[in-house]
Amino acid sequence: MEKELVEYIAKSLVDDPQGVVVNMIEGEKSTILELKVSPNDIGKVIGKHGRIAKAIRTILSASSTKTGKRVVLEILD
Amino acid sequence: MIREFEGKTEKEAIDKAIAELGIDREEFDVEILETSKKGLLFRKGTVKIRVHIPDGSKARVNLEPENDEERRLKEFLEKLIEKMGFPGRVRIALRENRKLKLDISSDHSGILIGKKGKNLDSIQLILNVFAGRIGLEQRIIVDAEGYRSRREMTIVRLARRAAEQVRRSGGSQLLEPMNPFERRLIHTSLNHMRDIDTKSEGEGLYKQVRIIYKGTSRR
Repeated sequence: MEKELVEYIAKSLVDDPQGVVVNMIEGEKSTILELKVSPNDIGKVIGKHGRIAKAIRTILSASSTKTGKRVVLEILD
Repeated sequence: MIREFEGKTEKEAIDKAIAELGIDREEFDVEILETSKKGLLFRKGTVKIRVHIPDGSKARVNLEPENDEERRLKEFLEKLIEKMGFPGRVRIALRENRKLKLDISSDHSGILIGKKGKNLDSIQLILNVFAGRIGLEQRIIVDAEGYRSRREMTIVRLARRAAEQVRRSGGSQLLEPMNPFERRLIHTSLNHMRDIDTKSEGEGLYKQVRIIYKGTSRR
């Protein structure tokens, strides 16, 4: 499931895995995933020029082709 | 490259090597290391062989993780694709000083690769960040069913064909958008052609390469 996927990736990239929280908001056509990490770890899930965030989003959208439902990832700070 | 295999008979050991490496018998040399026959009349013996594969072979290599970091990296990728919903097997296909290549075999390799390898590039980026975090210093390359190797050949061929065309037309040709690795491949594969110039155009990660005919140098 997409929520676990985001949790898994985020926890492997941050210093404080326990600070990783993903909230899922299900809509009709799309699902929003809100990713929260410890303040010191925000850079680790976003990356330079947002490269890591973009990669996570690409992986997420590849994964969601199974269900056909759009998944949107929001990184909260 | 050298690998070792074991079987009840020499033939079985060789068959195992063929199956695992995915190449023909003629493509490697076999050295018999050990033949042990337990009991009477050759029952339940084992034969150990060492297989020598020439460099540049297309053998499907499956290297054992050499340390904890490699083991963790391999597991990370296995788990990542599983959580994506596309489970598969991961093998270490190449280990060099500064390069470590993982290759995914999966029923879903098409979607794991994505359009122009986009999904594979993203997986590779995450793997590189993870590798850095656990202390691996090599650059990590993630492939699926040899896609990158095949793409590499396609790109070199494409570059040569475009060079031929601009040579005939005297103009230039703009190629499709490519990632930095693929662009570098174009530049280096045409570098030796003195009448051809290559330039990247555009912004961002996926720029386009223009192949330009500059004529015979007068120097």
